[in-house]
Amino acid sequence: MIRTYCVEAEDDFVSHRGVYLARKLGVEETSDQPAHLLRQFARAHRRSYSLSILSIIASEAITVQFPSLLGRFTDALQAGRLTGQLVVVYSLWLLLVGVAYVVLYGLGQWWNGRMGRVFEYELRKQLFDHWQTLPTAYFRHRSIGDLLNHAMNDVRTVREAMSGGLNMLTNAVFLLVATLVMTFRTISIELTLASIIPLLFLPLFVVYWGPKIRNASRRVQEGLSDMADLTEESLSAIRLIKATANEEVEGGRFGQRVQEIVGRQMSVFRLQALFQSLIPLTGSISFAIALLYGGYLTVTHQILLGSFVAFTLYLTMIITPLQQMGFVFNFFQRGSASLARLTVLFGERADIADPPHPVSVSHLTGTLEIDLPEFVYPNADTPSLRNIHFTVMAGQTVGIVGRTGAGKTTLVNLLPRIFDPPPGAVRIDGYDVHALRLQVLREAIAYVPQDGFLFSTTIAENIGFGKDQANSDEVAQAARHAAFWQEIEDFPAGMETVVGERGVSLSGGQRQRASMARAFVKDAPILILDDSLSAVDMNTEKRIIANIHRLREGKTTLIIAHRLSAVRHADFILVLDEGRLVERGSHEELLHRNGIYATLYRLQESEKGELA
Amino acid sequence: MSGGHRIDLQTNPSAATDSSTHALAGSVGRETHPGMSSLLQLLPYARPYMGQFILVLGLVVIYNATSVLQPYLVKVAIDHDIAVAHPSFHGLLQISFLYIGVVVLGTAANYFQVLTLQFAGQSIIRRIRLDLFHHITAQSMSFFDRNSIGRLVTNVSSDTETVSQFFTNFFLSLIRDGLALVMIVFAMFQLDAAIAAQAMVLLPILFGISLLFRKRLRRAYQTTRSHLSSVIAFLAENLAGVRITQIFHQEVRQAHKFEQLNGSHRQANIHEYQTSVLFNRTFEMLGNMAVAGVVWIGGNAVLHHAIEFGTLYAFISYIRNFFQPINSITQQWNTLQSSMVSADRIGRVLAVVPAVQDAQEPVAFAAEDVRGRVEFEHVSFGYQPDQRVLHDICLQVEPGAFIGLAGPTGAGKSSIMSLLTRFYDPDEGRILLDGVDLRDFAQADLHRLVGMVQQEVYLFSGTVADNIRLFREDISDEQVVAAAEVVGAHRVIERLPQKYQTWLYGKGGNLSMGERQLLSFARIVALNPKVLILDEATANLDSQTEALVTQGLQAVAKNRTTLVIAHRLATLRHADRIYLLHQGRIVEQGTHEELLNLAGHYSELYAKSGVNDPNEKTALGHSAHR
Repeated sequence: MIRTYCVEAEDDFVSHRGVYLARKLGVEETSDQPAHLLRQFARAHRRSYSLSILSIIASEAITVQFPSLLGRFTDALQAGRLTGQLVVVYSLWLLLVGVAYVVLYGLGQWWNGRMGRVFEYELRKQLFDHWQTLPTAYFRHRSIGDLLNHAMNDVRTVREAMSGGLNMLTNAVFLLVATLVMTFRTISIELTLASIIPLLFLPLFVVYWGPKIRNASRRVQEGLSDMADLTEESLSAIRLIKATANEEVEGGRFGQRVQEIVGRQMSVFRLQALFQSLIPLTGSISFAIALLYGGYLTVTHQILLGSFVAFTLYLTMIITPLQQMGFVFNFFQRGSASLARLTVLFGERADIADPPHPVSVSHLTGTLEIDLPEFVYPNADTPSLRNIHFTVMAGQTVGIVGRTGAGKTTLVNLLPRIFDPPPGAVRIDGYDVHALRLQVLREAIAYVPQDGFLFSTTIAENIGFGKDQANSDEVAQAARHAAFWQEIEDFPAGMETVVGERGVSLSGGQRQRASMARAFVKDAPILILDDSLSAVDMNTEKRIIANIHRLREGKTTLIIAHRLSAVRHADFILVLDEGRLVERGSHEELLHRNGIYATLYRLQESEKGELA
Repeated sequence: MSGGHRIDLQTNPSAATDSSTHALAGSVGRETHPGMSSLLQLLPYARPYMGQFILVLGLVVIYNATSVLQPYLVKVAIDHDIAVAHPSFHGLLQISFLYIGVVVLGTAANYFQVLTLQFAGQSIIRRIRLDLFHHITAQSMSFFDRNSIGRLVTNVSSDTETVSQFFTNFFLSLIRDGLALVMIVFAMFQLDAAIAAQAMVLLPILFGISLLFRKRLRRAYQTTRSHLSSVIAFLAENLAGVRITQIFHQEVRQAHKFEQLNGSHRQANIHEYQTSVLFNRTFEMLGNMAVAGVVWIGGNAVLHHAIEFGTLYAFISYIRNFFQPINSITQQWNTLQSSMVSADRIGRVLAVVPAVQDAQEPVAFAAEDVRGRVEFEHVSFGYQPDQRVLHDICLQVEPGAFIGLAGPTGAGKSSIMSLLTRFYDPDEGRILLDGVDLRDFAQADLHRLVGMVQQEVYLFSGTVADNIRLFREDISDEQVVAAAEVVGAHRVIERLPQKYQTWLYGKGGNLSMGERQLLSFARIVALNPKVLILDEATANLDSQTEALVTQGLQAVAKNRTTLVIAHRLATLRHADRIYLLHQGRIVEQGTHEELLNLAGHYSELYAKSGVNDPNEKTALGHSAHR
């Protein structure tokens, strides 16, 4: 029964940026709604939950005997009925009550908290699975930081409301009820009512100050991350700052942030100090009333001294549950806000999905027919692609060139349905891509992105990513074809070298070649290079292009390139400009046409000057 | 509730969690077990707040005295006014009001003590932060070569935060809880020495159990945290790469991996919770047992009239007041340890003396008289003592000349530029600007004379205008616009949604490469240096933007001594002089035509570059797989 006045003990922290999906959707409830999951989880574990709640209730019923025992002990003492033996009996009873309470309460609390954490895990798992089904268009307009906040903080807040909140609620309600029953029955209703008045303010204090302190602390955190951001920015640009003798100015900007933090911190401390002073103050006022009125009742022999002693103990006992009422309110309020945000997230439907009746085809050969009147990105006003019509026979190599923003990447992303083309606009082997199962479609396409995205795992695992059981020979072979093998061998752990933040950081060119190798391992009927040699030097580019020609014999290959040397041997070249197909033909034909392609070519030719 | 975890999405989680285990490279030295001395060295920062600390001490004494007095007052009420033959209601009334008075006094003392102490603590940390930042930016470049930026950011933001815990929480706990403990013990001995002596048995037990658990709790917390970091890192990466997962149709594989990380986090999380429940309940159990014990011992004492009943009551209250201070003192033990580690790291950074120092008496000069003549006299230099990257470099650049530096990657072009800006000092020889050794200038003066445009464009979170003027107040809006016009950036900026007031997010992510490059040109024009170093960076630009940038570049170079590091030899065709570097030596020099006629390295490089003959390509391709 050591209870301390605590401010909300969980050190939580919702969002740095605090920008949330403000919209609330009236999504109809489906099986993966978080509220539904919550109910399902509670149902599945209803026995554990009942046990845990019963255990807490039992513990409360026991713990309220503690003051009563002490009271009776006092009365016996006062009445002179106490013997040495009785002292031992009372002590043992107290011991028993104390131990039984702690064990029962601890078990209930532990069991309940455990399940909350299991649910947290389940919810996060569901969220991850859900995200993986959403189209790329969904992620284009969202910051990863915000999504992470949902996955980490909202999920945790729901868990806190569910396990912490439930613990506290059960505890608070039953302890309060039990205490009141005991005091009403065994001591004095008037005394109880009179003394409890100040305490009734406790939950209100918590409800009032809790969110205030929370918001103030969040502002401190924002200030801190602001300062850290500025420090990182300044130190990253230290060459610039030194070269421009700008140290003082940067120091001044840093100083402003630091000063801001001091101000925000102090406002947290003011709120906290006030809150933390008010709670014991309220408790003490209530105690003073008990002392005065209870003392009066004792003096006038309306109650016994033992009852007075017991009552003072009861009073300290209900301070905690009354505070907890406030916490529970805050918990549930935050929890339901988080639940609402998660509901919005889960409500996002995967609009790129398997067709209800897919054509039964398991292998594609790679003939492409594009009849695209126009393509508009979701939430965009103007079309990104217009009037694009061409056909690629299986086994052909096609070059796609054009300025940044001409629509090259958009065009090739329509093939694997990363972005969804209009119905019938993109056909593979004569089938509309919408008619194919996603798995069949995507198994037929290997893709090399421009940024050379890799996962933070070993090089071998990255290269073998597209194939479930890629063996080390295949991986090594692919690395050789991507002209990456030599460098891998120079790494300390070779193929087992971990890349990314926690491992070796690769250069842009190395990442591009690793993702090239990844596509080689997949060895699909259609290969798409999305400007994926831009960071590779010229000689290496030549080697890789030659390998592609050799390896892709009879298979369809689309090459987007900025440097024309990469596409000049293609069967034909498409030139895009502002979303339109403006020229097409072989390298020689296009040179003869004297259009955009020829201009570009001459520009690059005249700049013979780039160092290898 | 042991509660949640702070998630720091801004900084790299791995850097934040186990940074203490990594040793700092180079001069900042190895991480040893820091002792109290690491904190003591920061003590001078606390000295100006001595008065506040003494005030806090006084307030704490008042607060504690009022806390200890409360049970005593109740005892007096019971023994003198209630449980006596002739109870006195008047006395009871007096005691009650005294009680309230004591409580109010205690509350007020507590309130002011918290605010005073926190204000002192925050002021100390503010000073440490400012000094640290200033000290770091004053370091020469060799310092930044050795120390990772993430690490330094941790020093400035979280290490200082941890140290502030020492000046506030630790200090407060030590005096408040320590004093509380002492006063309770004193009060107990005052009431009854025999029972108090027996109660003292509890002290070592409580401390022992508490310390033991704290250690385990801390470990459990750290385990959970590091698992949580893995979950966050995995999530962040997979959200960024969801396209790749989908195209390669590996959703199941990734889900499985996530499940593993998520599962280990669950395990650790439950374990942590279990440990904290066990700890709290154990403590509570001990408290209940102690009360039972007091009733037993004290009950017998009352029975034998050794003590009054009120004394027993007070004992029961005191024994319960024992636990809280012990609990929080042991909690501060963790704070102390992490503050020592953090203070040690801060101390190491503060101890590094900048390698490049200003001269005792820097030369005084008028900026408008500087003409911009640059000379390198037999300069040799290496980043490491035994690895020379420049050998015996001699250069003369006349005021206003346009000079090119060419050569393969690693030839030493950038090193020459770093010496000219005095990011490093040469090992041998000297560098002169208008005949004055660079080491005789104050660094700040030198950097106003020698400007640099780097290949990598650094942008700050702020408006376009602020990025051009680098937040300097002495550069007016008109000067900013004028500078932008000179390099052709004005037209581009006018097209932005808020023009010069457009906010640049995420290091200029809302600008194209070319636009960013133009901003950096405008910046250098606004700063108006006499000597300009250009790290030419047109490799990544598409042809149209490149034309724009080239124009800007020419505008910037006008009327200044300009040294260009060329990546495309074409840029240098019109240079007054070209120096070709190879393995840290100047191997050829002359104009473009002279060098071509020389038929040496330069002409070879020139011939090799560019779009090549188609036949050669196939041949190379085959040779790679023979």
